[in-house]
Amino acid sequence: MKLSRRKFLGGAAAAVSSLTLFNFNLLTNSPPASASDPTSETMKTFRNVCPRNCYDTCGMITYVQDGILKKVEGDPKHGYTNGKLCLKGYAYPRRVYSPDRIKYPMKQSPRGSGNWTRISWDEAMDTISKKILDLKKRYGSTLPICLDKYSGNFGIVHYGIEGTMSSLGYTTRALGTPCWPAGIDAQTYDFGTLYNNDPEDMVNANYIILWGQNAAWTAIHSIPFINKARERGAKLVVIDPIVTSTASKADLYIQVNPSTDGALALGMARYIIDNNWVDWEYGRANSVGFDEWVDYIKKSITLDWASEKTGVPKDIIMEIAREYATTKPASMWVGYGMQRHVNGGQNVRIIDALGVLTGNVGKSGGGVNYGHLETWGFNYNAMINPAPKGSKGFIGPDGKEGDRNINMNNFAHDVTAQSDPPVKMLWLACRNPGAQDPDTHAIEKMFASMEFVVTVDSFFNKTVEMSDIVLPATTHFEDWDVMASYWHYWVGINQRAIEPLYESKSDVEIAIELSKKMNKLEPGSCTFPTSGTPEEWLAKEFNPGILKMLGIKDYKELIDGPRKANMPSAAWSDGKFRTPSKKIEIHCELAAKNGLPALPIWVEEMKSPVKYPIRFITPHPQHALHSQFQNLDWMMTTNPEPKVEIHPVLAAQYGIAEGNMVKIYNDLGSITVKDHLTRTTSPNVVVSYESWYKNSNFNVNYTLKATPSDMGKQATGNNGVAFHDNFVMIEYG
Amino acid sequence: MSKQLGFLHNSEKCVGCRGCEMACKNEYQIDATPQWRKVFQLREEDFSLPTRMFFSMACNHCAHPECLRVCPVEAYTKRDDGIVVHDPNRCIGCRLCTMACPYDRPQFNPVKKKVEKCNLCYQRIDKGEKPACVAACILGALELVEINDSLDQKTGVLKTLPGLPSPKITTPSIRFIGPKQGKQIRRD
Repeated sequence: MKLSRRKFLGGAAAAVSSLTLFNFNLLTNSPPASASDPTSETMKTFRNVCPRNCYDTCGMITYVQDGILKKVEGDPKHGYTNGKLCLKGYAYPRRVYSPDRIKYPMKQSPRGSGNWTRISWDEAMDTISKKILDLKKRYGSTLPICLDKYSGNFGIVHYGIEGTMSSLGYTTRALGTPCWPAGIDAQTYDFGTLYNNDPEDMVNANYIILWGQNAAWTAIHSIPFINKARERGAKLVVIDPIVTSTASKADLYIQVNPSTDGALALGMARYIIDNNWVDWEYGRANSVGFDEWVDYIKKSITLDWASEKTGVPKDIIMEIAREYATTKPASMWVGYGMQRHVNGGQNVRIIDALGVLTGNVGKSGGGVNYGHLETWGFNYNAMINPAPKGSKGFIGPDGKEGDRNINMNNFAHDVTAQSDPPVKMLWLACRNPGAQDPDTHAIEKMFASMEFVVTVDSFFNKTVEMSDIVLPATTHFEDWDVMASYWHYWVGINQRAIEPLYESKSDVEIAIELSKKMNKLEPGSCTFPTSGTPEEWLAKEFNPGILKMLGIKDYKELIDGPRKANMPSAAWSDGKFRTPSKKIEIHCELAAKNGLPALPIWVEEMKSPVKYPIRFITPHPQHALHSQFQNLDWMMTTNPEPKVEIHPVLAAQYGIAEGNMVKIYNDLGSITVKDHLTRTTSPNVVVSYESWYKNSNFNVNYTLKATPSDMGKQATGNNGVAFHDNFVMIEYG
Repeated sequence: MSKQLGFLHNSEKCVGCRGCEMACKNEYQIDATPQWRKVFQLREEDFSLPTRMFFSMACNHCAHPECLRVCPVEAYTKRDDGIVVHDPNRCIGCRLCTMACPYDRPQFNPVKKKVEKCNLCYQRIDKGEKPACVAACILGALELVEINDSLDQKTGVLKTLPGLPSPKITTPSIRFIGPKQGKQIRRD
């Protein structure tokens, strides 16, 4: 024993001596044993806001020493995120300094080959400008250029991407939002718009239902407010097809049949009506169609039917109906997953009506909470640019000339379907359709048919792989911007904490470069301004309305801390609904005009086809925000590979054991992924969390048809995607 | 030793968000592989109902630290407040400590060819601040505590969790509050 130990040490000593040539401790910025000292005189702090597509939109404090970002922390002056970040937020230094970041403009020839060459910004702008001018000459307009931009960075100045396109002329635009439009329309039909209570107000709830909402992964900063309510005795109910981390903490978890949430709410409504727990006064005074809906329920809904449909026993429907209706105020939070179905918007309308039935709308501690855009009233200065003189546009159905809008949620199909003129060039920014769009094979085929593809990004993701030119995007630490949330009521400034790394540029800086080049090649061909510092561009986004809402006189006051909008804590507490009738429209003529039921009645869910009997649900991941973060080395260490969660009963039917590779497929495509057997799902639902792993082709969207959800068109231009109506077969792979 | 600092982890509050794990990485800008702190999921089969329950563990700053005992170069020291500090400048990367620790918390860094571990943010503690993981815990599930009899006499405070090595080996300075399950209405 002694001998072997000495021998072992001898080997170790040899290793140490070779290390002296390369003392890694000297090479690293911060030796592992010592924390970066925030009180150091050379340490500077900056305010940032996480700009990702996330409920929480965290206030951040960034520590910078000698121009290097040393670490990040939560901003203690942010009353909702309260000085703490999520795991993704803390991983930011690894995103900024990732060796995988795109550092320079690069071109790939041929497209898809992986043969990338570094080019100068001048060459990149020259190539792109000449292609734009060439297309304009050949087709007589800039309509062959199509922009697809969405949620990669929700900073207000990033709407300069849309502004880039406007400044070139009329272009083709991917219109819509993949994430949440069915629910937005539901609340638009019912209340006039989406508008949730201040999430901090959940502390006042005496009963809380999280309906298809996994806050532990997607809105962690809301949980302390929920817990405060629970400490006072509030009960937490989670309704979800999956036993999520949030559901694991609930007082009552209900595993509902996917896409039948509306049936559950209707069953609850029936029991509430039968027992006269209805708030007749609130309902009749504030809504139209109230009695009509009550009559529908009495005639058409039974508890037996609701139980059969949802898989929830009758006594449980009765229990939560009684508790929800009688334990006031009761808060409901409707998640985005539950509306990603062909009847998703309708299910949200039914849940909205349940809130009205019980008088929980417009109350502190209550509400049917989905999201809001009340704090987003900026100028969108960077977005608004006139088309160059003589630009030819698309004549829309209303006879007006403008951009040609196509469906973001059926992007591959719609791009290919354009013929007059066809789409020949794509510009992608803040968007990764290669990973996030339905029917990945169709996306790949469509990209391959393009003449030219430009992508602005920070990492070589699937979309970049299908591009001719990639332009390196700054991270938000390298930009000035301002961010609002679609959930909480805070707004924060985002300072340039460090200089742009390598040759990266913000979207507005790219637009400036493009405008210079375009006008040099063809004077007057681009209207995007060619001057202004990043902070000046930010300053132009503020107006008296937003300053007043935030209780400040100058945007610079935000450097002292984020501000909360001066709004009542309960949405709709003034009773001024924004519908045509100015009341809650339980009976909604606008919905009827759009071919939907006027009333929140039951609409059938999609049934699984015989050949593909298993539902494949692909919710948001914990370690990533869509295709962002999971590729970083810290994330790859803690979560190295994707998994599919399969119920042991289902796995046994197909001879599948824990840790097997499983092929998930249907007529559209397939993926093969390692399984984890768990009873957190149900026997007819398999679950895998969408994400982009480093050096992996894993993508949950190969089997997903571009099936529209029922709503979205009214408020967002296009219906959503029924992401969770994805039916597959599985086999040992 | 005048006292023993340690951690109290509450699985009833913890949702396994891994904020603590990443806050630790962020504080010290740790290389990719070593995980000074790690969130573990409790085994689903140990519960009557399927669930996602977690505990978070870094170095347990044991009263009888095996790492310190086996280290041939005295890279480990135990402070007056019980914190077990590892000095990377002394470490020769022999990995005896990684083999000796029942909790696998000294972590070998293949880049630096040395071991690293949680030093309980002693520099922060000396300035009166909380450790980075504790400061980052959104749900208040992770606390810095003094390990003593009065803590151990509190209801619900556990010295170990199912599946963990016996605390008799090293007397770890970690205590637990176990998970609590609600009611489930299931379709299987």
